[in-house]
Amino acid sequence: MNLCSNNPAVERAQPWLGTLVSIRVEGLPSAEAHRAIAGAFAEIAAIHRLMSFHDPASDVSRLNREAALHAIAVHPWTYSVLAEAQQFSRASDGCFDVSVAAELVSWGMLPTPQGAHEPLRGTWRDIELFSGNRVAFRRPLWIDLGGIAKGFAADRAVERLRECGARYAVVNAGGDMRVEGENPERIRLATPSQSDLAPVLELANGSVAGSSGTVQQKRRGKPACGPHIDGSRRAPAPIDRFVCVVAERCVVADALTKVAMARGTESTDLLRRFSASAYLKDPGKQWLRIGAMETAAA
Amino acid sequence: MNSRLIFLPLAGIAIAGGPAYATVYLSVEQAQAVLFPGATVQPQPRTLTEEQVKAIEHASGVHVLTKQLKVWRVSAGGWFIVDEVVGKHEYIPFALALDDKGAVKGVEILEYREAYGGQIRDPEWQKQFLGKDASAKLQLGKSIRNISGATLSCKHITDGVERLLVTYELVLKQSGR
Repeated sequence: MNLCSNNPAVERAQPWLGTLVSIRVEGLPSAEAHRAIAGAFAEIAAIHRLMSFHDPASDVSRLNREAALHAIAVHPWTYSVLAEAQQFSRASDGCFDVSVAAELVSWGMLPTPQGAHEPLRGTWRDIELFSGNRVAFRRPLWIDLGGIAKGFAADRAVERLRECGARYAVVNAGGDMRVEGENPERIRLATPSQSDLAPVLELANGSVAGSSGTVQQKRRGKPACGPHIDGSRRAPAPIDRFVCVVAERCVVADALTKVAMARGTESTDLLRRFSASAYLKDPGKQWLRIGAMETAAA
Repeated sequence: MNSRLIFLPLAGIAIAGGPAYATVYLSVEQAQAVLFPGATVQPQPRTLTEEQVKAIEHASGVHVLTKQLKVWRVSAGGWFIVDEVVGKHEYIPFALALDDKGAVKGVEILEYREAYGGQIRDPEWQKQFLGKDASAKLQLGKSIRNISGATLSCKHITDGVERLLVTYELVLKQSGR
């Protein structure tokens, strides 16, 4: 959808945050669009370096190694993601919980962090946030921001694109997506269709994060499990459900997708509280829309 | 914010979301301009020897797909390499920029023609692509360029970059000065 035929869309993709991140800008002259996209990718690269579970130098790795010993000062972005994560944990009674990294490691979905003490049944309640962007853990804990950082990155990227003058932009961080602009973007929802019609989301000025509980990894001698965990039950979320959450900010959509995945229709009130809604499909059942019902484009 | 769920015929979507469709991000020339703005590049293609291939595979732990190395020397210093990795089913071409010390300056995906996530294993999903060609694109007013719900891993790309860094160390570093 070209807003201005003189300025063709510019779209680029780079590997960050463990996935493919693509950014599309429409309506800007090519050189300006490339400058804007380069700036947005620079923000995403910075978030990748701060919040990577794999990189020993990231804030997340430093926290996993040392925050149980003493308070650690982190980058304001890491602090802000942790503060948001705590808010989602509180509101969902721990269904969303960044400390599920211990389970993800034991199930072979994340590598064992080097030089970090074995976690001791800690939860999000053991994370303490202090002034000056300092963070401490009350007991040894492994956190992973993989369930929220992509949404945060899409938000930051769109802000940067907007500052650079982009009026229409789409940032897609591995399926966590933010659309800036009034023209609806059509997004295919990756759920197998039984009929000859496929579900497509039309989204303007907002974000979507989708999850299908596709089995990612076979675990020897253990039950099949999808990529999501119900933090309060410390058990895998249903593997045959499809959920996508729509919210204004992508960080909200990203985090609440995990709750909607685990809790299904029970997450309705929580979604409403964050002005978010979810499209939900369970096998053999109709599509459901739950949560906040939006008014026309605000 | 505004959203609605609609249902569209698979025939049109198949072209946009499936392996019959490729998202082209950048041409090789565009990637050079993006990664080395204002610089000129000189093609210096190489053919790896059997020994070099073995050494690269040994040091990187990544399989070498081709002996042909598409490499350019950059006027301002540094290297520009175009290579590809195998995704789940298709080749993914990408460009790697190295500075004059061999450190990664940038990675750009040139094209993506991967089927997304798990639905490739779904026979119903695969069936859509049989006998389709580019003209079927017209069935859908505008193409669908994004898919949500199936997080793609970029491990094969980071493996490819790793392999090229080893290739630089073993092959390009000595010869490039």
